[in-house]
Amino acid sequence: MIHNLLAFAAAALPSVAPLAPAATRLASSDAPLAIRARSVWTGTKVLENAIVVVEDGRIRAVGTEVEIPDGAEVLEHEGVLTAGMIALHGTAGAVGETRDSTRPAMPEARMGIPVDGRSADFAPLWNAGITSLLVTPDSSGITSGTTALVRTADGKVLRDPAHLSLVFSNEGLSSNREPTSRSGALALLNELFKKSSGVVADAKSGKLTCLFEVRERDDVLRAIAFAKDRKLSGALHGAWLSGELSEPIRDSGLFVIVPALGVGTPKRALDAVVRLEKDGVVFGFGLDAPWNHPDLLRLSAALCVRAGLDSQAAWRGLTANAAKISGVEARIGRIERGLEADLVLWSGDPLDLATRAEVVITAGKALTVERPNQNGAKESK
Amino acid sequence: MSFFAAFVLSVALPGTEDPEQRAWTIQAERVYTGTGRNLEKGLVVVSAGKISAVTPGAGDDGERPRDRLSVYAVTAGFVDIGVRVTNWYSVEQSKEVTPHLRVADTLDPFALDWDRQLRNGVTTVLVSPADRNVIGGLSVALKTAGPESISARTLRADAVLRGSMGSEPSSGNHPAFGRPTDFYSRRPTTRMGVEWEWRNAFFTAAEKRDTKDAGTATLIAALQGKMPIFIQAWTTQDIRTAVFLREEVESRPEFQGMNTPRFVIDAGAEAWKEPQLLARSKTAVVLPPFPASARTRENSLMAWNVAKVLEDAGVPFALSGHGSGDVSDRLAIQAGYAMAGGIGFESALAAVTSTPAMLIGVDARVGTLEVGKDADLVLWSGEPFQPGTRVVATIVDGVLRYEGWNAVRGAEIAR
Amino acid sequence: MHTNVGQAALVLLAGTASAQDATLPARETLLVRAEHVLVSPGRVLDGAQVLVRDGRIVAVGTDLEAPEGARVVEGRWVCAGFIDPWSALGVGGDALSEVNATAATRSIDGFDPFNLDHLRREALRAGVTSARVQLGPQARIGGQGAVVRLVPGLAPEEAIVSDASNLWMTAGLSLPSGQQFVETADGVQMVSGDRAQDPFDRAESVERIVAALQSGKNYLIAQNEHRHELEDWKKKVAEKDAELDKEFKKAKKDREKAQKEATEKDKKFEEKKFKDEKKPQAPRFDEDNEVIARAVDGRLPLFVGVERAAEIRSLLAGTESLGRVRLVIAGGSEAGFQASQLAERRIPVMVWPTPLGRSRPDELEAHDLSLAGRLASHGVTVLLGSGGRDPAATRDLPLLAGLAIAHGLSRDDAIEALTIGAARALDVADRIGTVEAGKDADLLVLDGPPLESTSTVRFTIASGRVVVTPEN
Repeated sequence: MIHNLLAFAAAALPSVAPLAPAATRLASSDAPLAIRARSVWTGTKVLENAIVVVEDGRIRAVGTEVEIPDGAEVLEHEGVLTAGMIALHGTAGAVGETRDSTRPAMPEARMGIPVDGRSADFAPLWNAGITSLLVTPDSSGITSGTTALVRTADGKVLRDPAHLSLVFSNEGLSSNREPTSRSGALALLNELFKKSSGVVADAKSGKLTCLFEVRERDDVLRAIAFAKDRKLSGALHGAWLSGELSEPIRDSGLFVIVPALGVGTPKRALDAVVRLEKDGVVFGFGLDAPWNHPDLLRLSAALCVRAGLDSQAAWRGLTANAAKISGVEARIGRIERGLEADLVLWSGDPLDLATRAEVVITAGKALTVERPNQNGAKESK
Repeated sequence: MSFFAAFVLSVALPGTEDPEQRAWTIQAERVYTGTGRNLEKGLVVVSAGKISAVTPGAGDDGERPRDRLSVYAVTAGFVDIGVRVTNWYSVEQSKEVTPHLRVADTLDPFALDWDRQLRNGVTTVLVSPADRNVIGGLSVALKTAGPESISARTLRADAVLRGSMGSEPSSGNHPAFGRPTDFYSRRPTTRMGVEWEWRNAFFTAAEKRDTKDAGTATLIAALQGKMPIFIQAWTTQDIRTAVFLREEVESRPEFQGMNTPRFVIDAGAEAWKEPQLLARSKTAVVLPPFPASARTRENSLMAWNVAKVLEDAGVPFALSGHGSGDVSDRLAIQAGYAMAGGIGFESALAAVTSTPAMLIGVDARVGTLEVGKDADLVLWSGEPFQPGTRVVATIVDGVLRYEGWNAVRGAEIAR
Repeated sequence: MHTNVGQAALVLLAGTASAQDATLPARETLLVRAEHVLVSPGRVLDGAQVLVRDGRIVAVGTDLEAPEGARVVEGRWVCAGFIDPWSALGVGGDALSEVNATAATRSIDGFDPFNLDHLRREALRAGVTSARVQLGPQARIGGQGAVVRLVPGLAPEEAIVSDASNLWMTAGLSLPSGQQFVETADGVQMVSGDRAQDPFDRAESVERIVAALQSGKNYLIAQNEHRHELEDWKKKVAEKDAELDKEFKKAKKDREKAQKEATEKDKKFEEKKFKDEKKPQAPRFDEDNEVIARAVDGRLPLFVGVERAAEIRSLLAGTESLGRVRLVIAGGSEAGFQASQLAERRIPVMVWPTPLGRSRPDELEAHDLSLAGRLASHGVTVLLGSGGRDPAATRDLPLLAGLAIAHGLSRDDAIEALTIGAARALDVADRIGTVEAGKDADLLVLDGPPLESTSTVRFTIASGRVVVTPEN
């Protein structure tokens, strides 16, 4: 079956009713799929009028001169084709399971276990073009466990554990449970890192990266000092102003996960993100789904772009660099031959909030995103 | 001499200014070195962040080099060793005795409190954890300005072991009648209990001598005198308790090999009642800010002449501002109050500079205007401890870190 | 010591409070040239110019020349400045948590031209030139809102576009408890601790609104009656006066004769007293009902903040008999159920397209971004606002509009909502909202079509002043 998606024009034109009745999934066939798009953002460059060939859930070819294999389904797309977005902080699918405050240190608690692939939290995510989510434990005590990267379309866990979460912000402190102070927290962390087995040992040996939960700038400094001391790698999440410390962060080799930025985020926080890019720090964006609407991920990026961030740098933060931060850059995050096919067809420039995702290709299937219905009450999903 | 001389900092405007400039020539009508030798019309020369010369003279009248500052008086930067962190996450309350935990791990170099210290002429502070624990941990001596990291500003890490007598450590605890509801149902709930915790900590350390345990190792080092022990004791009975505890450690055979502690009473408001006891036991005192009315914390009564009484008895004393934001708690004002209580200017100056530096062991680097010491200076618009005098500028490690709001650059306002 | 007067640079700031900020750009004569001028929704002039003088648009055309001394501003697109009809930027922060307002309360009394000026500048840079501000947005009755220009430091005459643009009431919303704006080192944050109302309170709140409107209507009727009675009385008095005048001479003679007779007969002379008819009493002045009466009469738009279908339905039913009321629904999360009725009665809905997820106040599910599109597709006039609670949100109104477009609103409808649609609903359409001669010069000069992500605002002109340029 050949689907012609020319009707899904760029968002500048008034909306048009779909030619075919809206279906949640296209027939998944074993035939390869060739997508010709007006613009393809590979994650490293932008190609005009390029073709991407997908087969068996993997990217077979990408380029402007690619030959379309015989028997392939052809999708013509007037908009932009990109890799699927990766949101780097959230609890979707595991709501209520991310916090166990019985003990200050629970490093072996794995987010991959409680994640429910059939949770209703995931559909809004892939419908918004977010194909993977890093499910993260709460910032409680000094560690609440490890993170897991989940594919939103089918709830499959792509990487578990992905990071060991270590809490350096005041959120981990309590007034009636150890630790009540930062010095106490540090003493507990030092105690914890005496372990010679389990995820802590993996973190020490470099097999497992860490997620440093921070809030204020001095939390960032303490986390960097701890990481340097123990030779840990990983990412700092939660400090709006971490960009003001971009040089020490860059020198430490750590990455940054920018917390979800909402409407009205102060300019100083946006300028800090621009500085991260300027000083060469690798960063991605968190979402905190389901508490935030999935579109907030692109809103965070759009706010930074409006403050001066280069748009391709912002897009890398949502895709390629996010994959790097999650340790899956060999699998997803870019449109490159050999990588898994997690792709999104957008109606226009994805950093324009007026653009919507139209088709999401992930988990070996091509899923049509339901159009907001123009004629009458909205069809329920 | 007009005490309210309005000399103003004047600096020639260069094309661009280097915010990290570390070389200055300060010309002052009064140079109060803190060594007993003062200069009328003198120069203090700073280079590479250290004091390189302190000489009489009016300096070179011909040129106006960009690094020249002219002011009425200059002193060494103040040293406040009574600064406490008041927020709840500076001290680990899951246990009452946490000797090895460091308050330095909880400090924020970006906090606005540092600016307040600079505005009031304080260049070195000893920061201690809140006194919610009996023994709260290790205090840190650091500069109030510098690179944006606590470790880069630290003058002396683990400078002092901090603890408290009295009722503050027991507040928040409640007896466990029936079932304990949280970890605050524990000892101590009284002053007696607080003192018991001290003795328990010392005697257990002496008995077990388990240096593998970080807390015990710290206690042993403190009892051996490797760092002073600062004990908060507002009232007479708490001061006495602290001194008797020390005498016990010094005399009992259990403490063989760890019986030379150095005790300093912090916030000794009622120290004026026991000068002989303090002198005999060679205990120094850090005084808290003078209260508006005589009664202060723990209902202690602080006399205006407490500094004079201690001086006459030969007890070393320092003044402190506790890091408070109150205008009347500024160290310069505290020194003025102490002078009103009977001590002289040199003695008051020593109480906010060289004595506190000596008490925490950083006097080789700060506390007086001497060649070779760190260039930590305060520039005054008049006689330093008078109410009408302002801090015109504060220099830390040779870098101009604070300039008063009405400093007029490039011009001079006549007296 | 040397004096260096030549190099003296005073650090002291002389804070003189003047009516106009010294750093405010001056009003200039401008010729704005663009490849496309969006005059009003649906009307684009290509290769056109806009002439601005004394803060007004003097002419729009395709062959205008720059008069002498005029400044020329060029760009690719020109459109009217955006209006945020649901903003918190313009009155002091405390005013937004007001719960004790009445209908007579005027938001303009809280107007502060210097409040949060860094946020105003960011809003201007994003293209929002004016905003409707409202005291007590979560109060049962919030009083009268106002439309103000966001340029910091404007004198009130220039800053206030309308000092009473609407009356505000709410039905069934969570009551604010401890909602406040906290200024931190990182900016202003809103901290909310809302309490939801129970269903009985919610139903009662609509009844309360209808009752208030009824009382306003009665007041209006009483006033009208009084007016008629007064006219009648005046007519009667005039007639009587005329009669008196006619018989004046005769009456004078009679009076003189009676007086003479009295003195002759030694009787007491009584003046004929003319019985005055009582002047009709005006209804007692009630400042709240004065305002509500204007709303009932259709002279003041009535904005009602309401989310749930049940309350919307009752509100529509309750106001059916009040035909002249110009109702606007604010919020309307569940207005989709009443879409056709809203379209029929021409009741606009002001939508807050915010990307919040679960657990919003008002106990509703995750906010539905497709609301604006759905309502528009049913023919309802849609307005877009930034929520009226967080002053920093006005800056991001164009981004929120983008979200609404992605979820079904057409781009043209969005632009209309942000310009003439909002102006019409707030009765300021004669002054702002389109690029037409005679209107105030509130214009945006962009490097691409408005509301497209690749377009940025290069110049913002407000009240004829160029307040944003690519340099600043």
